[in-house]
Amino acid sequence: MLGNFEYKKVRSVEEGSRCLVDAGGSGAILAGGTDLLVEIRNSIKSPSLLVDCKGIEALSAFEHSPIETNIGASVPLNQLIEHKSFRETFPALTDALLSIGTYQLRSRATVAGNICNASPAADSAPVLLVRGAVVEATGANGVRSIPIQEFFTGVKKTSLQLGEIVTSVRLPAESGLRTAFLKQQRVRGHDLAVANIAGAYTPESNTLRMAIGSCAPTPVLMEPIPVDSNDVGAFSAHVAGLVMKAVSPISDVRASAAYRNAVLPTLARRIVYAVLDGQGGGN
Amino acid sequence: MHEIRFTVNGQAESKRVEATTTLLELLRDRLALTGTKEGCGIGECGACTVLMDGAPVTSCLVLAVEADGHAIETIEGEAVSGELSILQQAFIDAGATQCGFCTPGMIMSARGLLNRIPEPSTEEIVEAIAGNLCRCTGYEAIVEAVRIASQRMAGGGVQ
Amino acid sequence: MTRELKVVGKPVARAEAVDKVTGAAAYTHDLSLPGMLHTALVLSPHASARIVSIDTAAAEAIPGVRVVLTGDGLCYQLGLYMQDKCILARGVVRYQGEAVVAIAADTLDQARAACKLVQVEYEELPSVLDPRIAKEDTTHLVHPDLHTYDHMQGVFFPKAHSNIAHHQKIRKGDFDQAFASSEVQLTASFYNPPVQHVPMETHATIAQALPQQRAELWTSSQSPYTVRHLMSVCFGVPHANFRVHVPFVGGGFGGKAGLGLEPLAYVLSKAANGRPVKVVATREQEFNTLPSRQGLHSTIEIGAGRDGKITALKSTYIWDAGAYADYGVNIGRAAAYSGGGPYAIDNCWIDSYVVYTNKVFGTAYRGFGHLEVLWGIERAMDQMARKLGMDPAEFRRMNLLKEGDTTITGESFTSGHGKPQACLDAVAEAISWGIPSDPPLEPHKVRGKGLAMLHKAPAMPTYTSCAVVMKLDEDGGADILVSGVDYGQGTYTVLRQIAAEELSIAIEKVHITWECDTAFSPYDWQTVASRFAYMGGNAVIEAAADCLKQIRSMASQALDIAPEKLICEDGHVYPEGSPDRAISYAKLALGYTFENGNSIGGPVVGHGRFIAKGLTHLDPETGQGLPAQYWTYGAHAAEIEVDTQTGEIEVLNIVSALDAGKVLNPKLCIGQVVGGVVQGLGSALWEGFVFDDQGRFLNPAFVDYKIPTAKDIPHRTQQILLENPQPGGPYGARGVAEHPMISIPSAIGNALYDALGIEFTTLPLNYERILSRIRERADGS
Repeated sequence: MLGNFEYKKVRSVEEGSRCLVDAGGSGAILAGGTDLLVEIRNSIKSPSLLVDCKGIEALSAFEHSPIETNIGASVPLNQLIEHKSFRETFPALTDALLSIGTYQLRSRATVAGNICNASPAADSAPVLLVRGAVVEATGANGVRSIPIQEFFTGVKKTSLQLGEIVTSVRLPAESGLRTAFLKQQRVRGHDLAVANIAGAYTPESNTLRMAIGSCAPTPVLMEPIPVDSNDVGAFSAHVAGLVMKAVSPISDVRASAAYRNAVLPTLARRIVYAVLDGQGGGN
Repeated sequence: MHEIRFTVNGQAESKRVEATTTLLELLRDRLALTGTKEGCGIGECGACTVLMDGAPVTSCLVLAVEADGHAIETIEGEAVSGELSILQQAFIDAGATQCGFCTPGMIMSARGLLNRIPEPSTEEIVEAIAGNLCRCTGYEAIVEAVRIASQRMAGGGVQ
Repeated sequence: MTRELKVVGKPVARAEAVDKVTGAAAYTHDLSLPGMLHTALVLSPHASARIVSIDTAAAEAIPGVRVVLTGDGLCYQLGLYMQDKCILARGVVRYQGEAVVAIAADTLDQARAACKLVQVEYEELPSVLDPRIAKEDTTHLVHPDLHTYDHMQGVFFPKAHSNIAHHQKIRKGDFDQAFASSEVQLTASFYNPPVQHVPMETHATIAQALPQQRAELWTSSQSPYTVRHLMSVCFGVPHANFRVHVPFVGGGFGGKAGLGLEPLAYVLSKAANGRPVKVVATREQEFNTLPSRQGLHSTIEIGAGRDGKITALKSTYIWDAGAYADYGVNIGRAAAYSGGGPYAIDNCWIDSYVVYTNKVFGTAYRGFGHLEVLWGIERAMDQMARKLGMDPAEFRRMNLLKEGDTTITGESFTSGHGKPQACLDAVAEAISWGIPSDPPLEPHKVRGKGLAMLHKAPAMPTYTSCAVVMKLDEDGGADILVSGVDYGQGTYTVLRQIAAEELSIAIEKVHITWECDTAFSPYDWQTVASRFAYMGGNAVIEAAADCLKQIRSMASQALDIAPEKLICEDGHVYPEGSPDRAISYAKLALGYTFENGNSIGGPVVGHGRFIAKGLTHLDPETGQGLPAQYWTYGAHAAEIEVDTQTGEIEVLNIVSALDAGKVLNPKLCIGQVVGGVVQGLGSALWEGFVFDDQGRFLNPAFVDYKIPTAKDIPHRTQQILLENPQPGGPYGARGVAEHPMISIPSAIGNALYDALGIEFTTLPLNYERILSRIRERADGS
């Protein structure tokens, strides 16, 4: 294919980090490749070096326990989706991952890759945000745990520093959490999001966290919303109003701002019903 | 240049490849396995689907170097010793091919599915092939072919 | 024909399916010749510009680059109906995406790298993007030299010093008078955006220039002989100088009719001293550079009596031809003579304008203008029915063509045309027309039903023909040579069935050489227009009769029996009443040898042909004439569900009825219908080119140009095939290849009115458009 890059399969995260630093910013991590190789083909990105960490065993680890879940950076989406306990523990995240591309794409794509690509429409982002995921990264300065809400800094931009490699995404366990995810597409087949949205209701604190994607330069996590479950209808309308204030959709080739503004309140209300009315699954 | 060792349809291969060569290019141009097709080059159409360690992938978005150490299965490996597989015969019997260009990728996606779920539901079949675009058939006959194949396999047929 | 058919009408599986399911089928994409070069293109970034200079020095210096061509050295005008196209842009670029420079190199990567180094200086010019404006604009001309272009005389009428490539007129009766005096009147306007065929195999051609102005080509094409002819005319050499092969073709849908990449591949090979050159379109180029289906603005006026009888219909079509209008002019013509729909209308005026704009150009696309035109007609019929307070099905019944009526070009409707009303009745019954849908589960969803008629005749020249050669093998089998192309429709299988039936041999013994080769396969016009099974079938019948005549002649001598007393059955020929004296075809295939060694006859080679009969040109002023070899009628009914909060539309059911005349192979026929319905859904719900205000194509990839996937198809479909025979059709069959797609958008649009009470007039009916209209209505605007 067109492109002018070297390829290095590294044996350790440190080696990978060194390669990225040595490449001075023109290196890129090759995970699933489903975003990166397309961008190279379309001359949107021109890295001179692709660093492949898929041979590092620790990055392929997927640890799932009642305390926390750690998704290694190289774990393909299908592996998560096809893991029964993962599905049961993280139904909204499973929905989100299932909405990414096609089955073939999900054989290769990874959660780490999805968030590092940092598209405003990243489908894993809204649920990771409302669940308070933590991004584990290793770089020249050692190990860093980045709360997901600090991870996205702009369109296709993250807070990773040169040489930092995401090693895993950690999901803390939160018992009793009720979550839901919705994505507005243009078709029933595979599509990028016109808008995507996630909600997580914590009965203990009676708060609702909402996150929206594809309607701002980054996925947006809103401030927790105190829940009034006496009148779910009214509350959902209230949440919809707050959601509209939190985002600024634009028009692009996929959809107009008007359409995004039109569907978002509906999606927000449906999320509220899903997490409060008992249909939103959780652990 | 990179030395890679991999298997294709069970056969060991070794090649020297540029970093920028895709698995699709390797299969078609270097191994003369032209059954796998290019339809879009960006992983959207599924015409280039092969199995990599049993998982359906779009080979246009896999670098040849990434195939090092892995087992690749293409449409050319579906028939064994010239005998069509149950899946291939089902495609013929159900009228699931028209122009045939999407067919290799479709069969590989279906093969990946049946290896994983021998008796898939309609929903599972659709999910498995939804990443394979077909402009000719309207998909009904293809879904039917996979269903027939799974029934015949359950009836005791090999593969 | 009352004899029991053994193989025609049976769901015989395609023989070549084995090649397809094993990956053995070789498409042009898969072919390779020794020393072959690969091609990349530099495309215009502007919709309209003068090419000031092209600097290729850096590109030429890339190792492996063998040829760099620009339009300057290629002074050829191409076209079948209208010669308005050049091989590479010359002097000006007329659409964003037009090929400006072609580079052939040892590897594709080298060619692409070289393209990146080409520097083209442009002087941007004003562009015309809206065909309605372009039609009236006489200062911004896409083709200032239009009046100098060769074109098919007497058939197409370009307007000098304008952007109008063709104006087709139908004048039946007196519309003005009839409309003015009609009791109920309707005027409505509609729009279809341009869309692309999206064959899964993009356009691809390999050309090898040979000494003495000859060349051999392998190309993913629907029309090898048209390629040969146009190349011959363009380059001024005898037809036999170009040998065209068509291997397996990965879909065409009209987009691979006529000339595509062949001239470019040829001139590159010539410039490379005869090294073979392969040109393969990327998917983006398939959308942005290669032709599309024209967009259409249509305005329809209908006048009717309160009793529901239409008395007057007038349509104005403004076709968005894009930068070149070769096939576009014929679509403008064909759609005009079909522009009354399948209805009896005494006063019908149609003006069909094919207008140049600075966008990617249109070509033939399944339906050849009929989907576009019937979007408007069938939506307008529903609107008129409502105005009259009539049920839409009843309104159609009242106006459908019946025996004794004439079409808008003056053709008499006879029983041989089939039964459009039976199609309507069939879908109405199957969808339980008149009974509301079951209510949806969710309160924010609504359902609706809609139906639409369709009709089409093959849009083809009056001299369209097909020839077939049939030779017998020593084992008693038969080989068929034909150069119609089977690019998925299954026509080769049908031709084999017909040959097996006519020769009375097992179908397994009938072979059809898959690859067309103009050196060996006899002429066929083009595989478009839903006429290959009809014409090829008739030609096969004649060829089989010719073979049997030769068989009978030899057997007559061998058995000393008059030929007319011989029976041909099951691969044997025997005297009536004496099957024990049978001689197998195998023993006659290469002539017959008596016991004493004397040989008579010779190898059995039969030929058959079919030429369109009785067609006439259309009168340039009135459009009256006989353009149609046969009409195929049909109807669709759709049931849909809409989420009124998101605009999402789900198709619950589509029932389709076609009067096929004779279903030659039910499995293949159903396959065509289902495939066409889903392709029609793409046009209905999602597909459409998006341009910015500078005429730049914004969605030339699957990321943002969506075609139906397995998840997007209707919950249910049903196909009803009627068999009211077509006189002159093989076994009474008519063409049905394009028809399943036509009027799918119309049925959906009508169902949307039933569900929402909103008139949709613009395609596609995507979620955003649906929601926007719902909200508009809620706002009271």
